[in-house]
Amino acid sequence: MRIKLTSIMVDDQDKALKIYTEVFGFVKKHEIPVGQYRWLTVVSPDGPGDVELSLEPNANPAGRAFQEAMFKQGIPIAAFEVDDIDTEWTRLKGHGVVFVQDPARMGPVSIAVCSDTCGNLVQIYQPAAARSA
Amino acid sequence: MFTSGAFERLCRARDLLRELPDEPLSIRAVAKEVGMSPFHFIRRFQALFGETPHQARIQSRLDRAKQLLALSDRSVTDVCLDVGFTSLGSFSDLFARRVGSCPSAYRRHVRSLMPASGVLPEALTPGCLTLMGAAFATFEKPRDAASSDAGTQEDA
Repeated sequence: MRIKLTSIMVDDQDKALKIYTEVFGFVKKHEIPVGQYRWLTVVSPDGPGDVELSLEPNANPAGRAFQEAMFKQGIPIAAFEVDDIDTEWTRLKGHGVVFVQDPARMGPVSIAVCSDTCGNLVQIYQPAAARSA
Repeated sequence: MFTSGAFERLCRARDLLRELPDEPLSIRAVAKEVGMSPFHFIRRFQALFGETPHQARIQSRLDRAKQLLALSDRSVTDVCLDVGFTSLGSFSDLFARRVGSCPSAYRRHVRSLMPASGVLPEALTPGCLTLMGAAFATFEKPRDAASSDAGTQEDA
């Protein structure tokens, strides 16, 4: 049994694809039309065989209620690992990404939290091993 | 960085934009309500939510209209007024441009897909895994057809 797929709800799949590829820097893996939506996934260019992230429409009112409640509470709904958090933070800010938490040490990891502009807060984190490396 | 105060105020602004009082607040009034200048309010709202306050308000009204058309028996005119539009013509035009069909055609289409009265059809509330299943089913069709042909031959 392997973990190869996870998903994040987005308010607009076109907007999400643009941000997750052009801003976050992932690459599109699948884009298959299904009715008015798409089976749409991205992967990391650093790990194309890693977990696929599905950009899932938040059309289900129950899902959207959950997404909005988490957002309001300031809780990130996904976390992406980076090698150098300060470099990523600077790069993302250059793309206009807004942070609700700037990079900060949390025990062994450094984390920052930003809006993906698709209805979610996402966390980027630099693990301790990367920091000492 | 957004302070937690600014973040909370922008979340509150989004709620205000979605409310449907008899006299909806102007964007300028919403900005004032959350203590920001209109210019900063619009800029920061868009940076956080990926849409302008006006776009957020319109989208919220259209989403609510879709729900009412699918799940209630309100007339199209009533739905138009219920969600905060004042002109049926501009509501229908906007709805058709964004959704792809006019409100009454949308209602007929959704009702035809509904598994039971009052239950949203899966096609309108897709989950990650139902989309994946449907997407890969499009690739599987030729093989399924071939294997069922083979099965038929074996049976014969």
